[in-house]
Amino acid sequence: MKKLSSIIAGGLAIGLTISAQAGTLEDVKKRGTLSCGVSTGLAGFSQKDEKGVWSGLDVDVCRSVAAAVLGDASKVQYKPLTAKERFTALQSGEIDILSRNTTWTHTRDTSLGLNFAGVIYYDGTGFMVSKKLGVKSATELDGANACIQAGTSTELAIADYFRENKMNYKAVTFDTSDQTRTGFESGRCDFLVSDQSQLYALRIGLKDPSAAVVLPEVISKEPLGPVVRQNDDVWFNIVKWVVNASIEGEFQNVTSANAKDLRKNGNPGQKRLLGSEGDLGEKLGLSADWAYQAITQVGNYSESFERNVGQDSPLKISRGLNAQWNKGGILYSPAMR
Amino acid sequence: MPIKEFKPLPAQPAPVSTTGPIAWLKNNLFSSPFNIVATLLILSGLFLILPGLIDWLFISANWTGTTQDACVDDGACWVFIRAWSQQIFYGSYPSGELWRVNLCLFLLAVVIYLSFILPINLRNKVAIPAFLALPFVCLLFLDGRYLGLEYVNTDYWGGFSLNILLAAASIIIAFPFGFLWALGRRSNLPFAQSVSVICIEFFRGTPVLALFFMGSVMLPLFFPEGVTVDKLLRVWIILILFMSAYMAEVFRSGFQAIPNGQYEAADSIGLGYWQKTFFIIFPQVIKVSMPNILATFIMVFKNTVFLLVIAVPEILQVILGALTNSKWLGGHATEGFLFVALVFWACCYSMSMLSTSIEKKLDTSHKH
Repeated sequence: MKKLSSIIAGGLAIGLTISAQAGTLEDVKKRGTLSCGVSTGLAGFSQKDEKGVWSGLDVDVCRSVAAAVLGDASKVQYKPLTAKERFTALQSGEIDILSRNTTWTHTRDTSLGLNFAGVIYYDGTGFMVSKKLGVKSATELDGANACIQAGTSTELAIADYFRENKMNYKAVTFDTSDQTRTGFESGRCDFLVSDQSQLYALRIGLKDPSAAVVLPEVISKEPLGPVVRQNDDVWFNIVKWVVNASIEGEFQNVTSANAKDLRKNGNPGQKRLLGSEGDLGEKLGLSADWAYQAITQVGNYSESFERNVGQDSPLKISRGLNAQWNKGGILYSPAMR
Repeated sequence: MPIKEFKPLPAQPAPVSTTGPIAWLKNNLFSSPFNIVATLLILSGLFLILPGLIDWLFISANWTGTTQDACVDDGACWVFIRAWSQQIFYGSYPSGELWRVNLCLFLLAVVIYLSFILPINLRNKVAIPAFLALPFVCLLFLDGRYLGLEYVNTDYWGGFSLNILLAAASIIIAFPFGFLWALGRRSNLPFAQSVSVICIEFFRGTPVLALFFMGSVMLPLFFPEGVTVDKLLRVWIILILFMSAYMAEVFRSGFQAIPNGQYEAADSIGLGYWQKTFFIIFPQVIKVSMPNILATFIMVFKNTVFLLVIAVPEILQVILGALTNSKWLGGHATEGFLFVALVFWACCYSMSMLSTSIEKKLDTSHKH
């Protein structure tokens, strides 16, 4: 009986983790892994492959942070979370960083005890129409039928947009995004409304993806970014500047391939970013090569974007708003100095 | 006059109209005008559906390959299931360590088998402790830290093996809990009785989904800062409590089925409360409750699929995740869900076969 109870005690001890309440940075360093909350599956943002390996734009944020803090992008413990669980998991300390296509809103930022550390993808409600319709812009959609997923913020966005432009539409609502696609495919509506990143994923699932186009208009703001706990500025700064480093990396033309060379022979800006000059890493409480590790192991923003959702991926999302500020987008990293 | 000897005529075969396939058809399918119409309608319906279904399922289905591009024919893309099979059955558990999951499944089978073949005097002494230790032994093996094996975080556990092991681990621990609650409910001690009634009625009266949400969203906020209890452990405890309430009611019905004479007989030979309960009543309760216990097990086994609402990577969650992978966006939901349904049906059907055979074995014809 004694043996049995010691087995039971050992079994229960496995589930309980008591972490010292130092800063998140110390916890992560001590543990040796970064605990990262991701979605249970969203094409191009956080997805698991057949071997259980995670990839995606959201996942790359965690990998970059792990590379900058621990020197190894693979030292990430992924925790798939539902939309309802995500903030609790962060608040209770189960995860160190939440990177789960979470929209940065005023309410979330101010009332949940959390901080948004930046934007990695500017999403927004968009339209997909069948090519046969010959529509070039959303303003030509007056009187059309719309396939919408019920209970989403999309419903509100499209109602506002059509009222503002004094147009009419007829809503055909469905329960899941899969059903909206089926409805669109069977011709029950003329256009499909959803977040633009979703539209591209839905489009691939069509029998003939080339028969549908995603219109350029985006009618609502959905900036997605990583989230950390409030009152831990050291960690907040790290995540914020790792995100900035990947954007700045693209701006300075630093890629995973040329970072090694530029670290020695680059211009002063590149050298500061890569840690061969200045003390940017030290000020974050990290080693000097923090951004160098992140960029060589994960790549700069452009590499990450194209690999996961852009032209090198099945989704083929164009950069749009998510291009650098000097190339027609709104990505802008504060100065690295 | 000689007495006429009675000579029976040789037996004749039954008339054609009452035996053989034609008679069967006539009796079962074409016995009345209504049945004739119904049969014809159903047959024509099957003729309409079956060829297309068989064609989609087998003939023009895609069986070989490793990527979505291999699915060129119009039929089902079984390549999807093949490519994801390891995820579907084991989740992200490291490939080199899968023997640990298999060992646990094997141990579970061994313990169940043992409880059948052991001689009756050893059965209680060996099988019951083995059952109770099994979940914790498996926990130690799957986790690995305390046995000097590679540490595998619970985030990597998953797939269908998780459904099986979690259901088994829950019902095993729920067994003693449920029994105690049932005893408490019948007890004359006011404290034991009220505690048991509150527990049973709370966990039986709350939907299991609501309990899961509470465990995953609310519970972590109540722990002191810095203390986190593993999600899978929280889920396990919830399943145990939920199942205990159901088992308690199953046992209570078992208690009520035992004739009063048994209690009185036990009292009259001077057995104490626990002796009476364990040596006289318990064995009979188990026998009477067996069909319900197995039915409850099948229920909890299927309930483990609900865990997908809190992102535990059980089999259905793996399928849903696979469907959103950008390399598999071709819409394989039908194949995935069909496969999950098939796997569960096969398991539940074999369990109800097992339960029928157990009932036959336990039947000592004490029908009251």
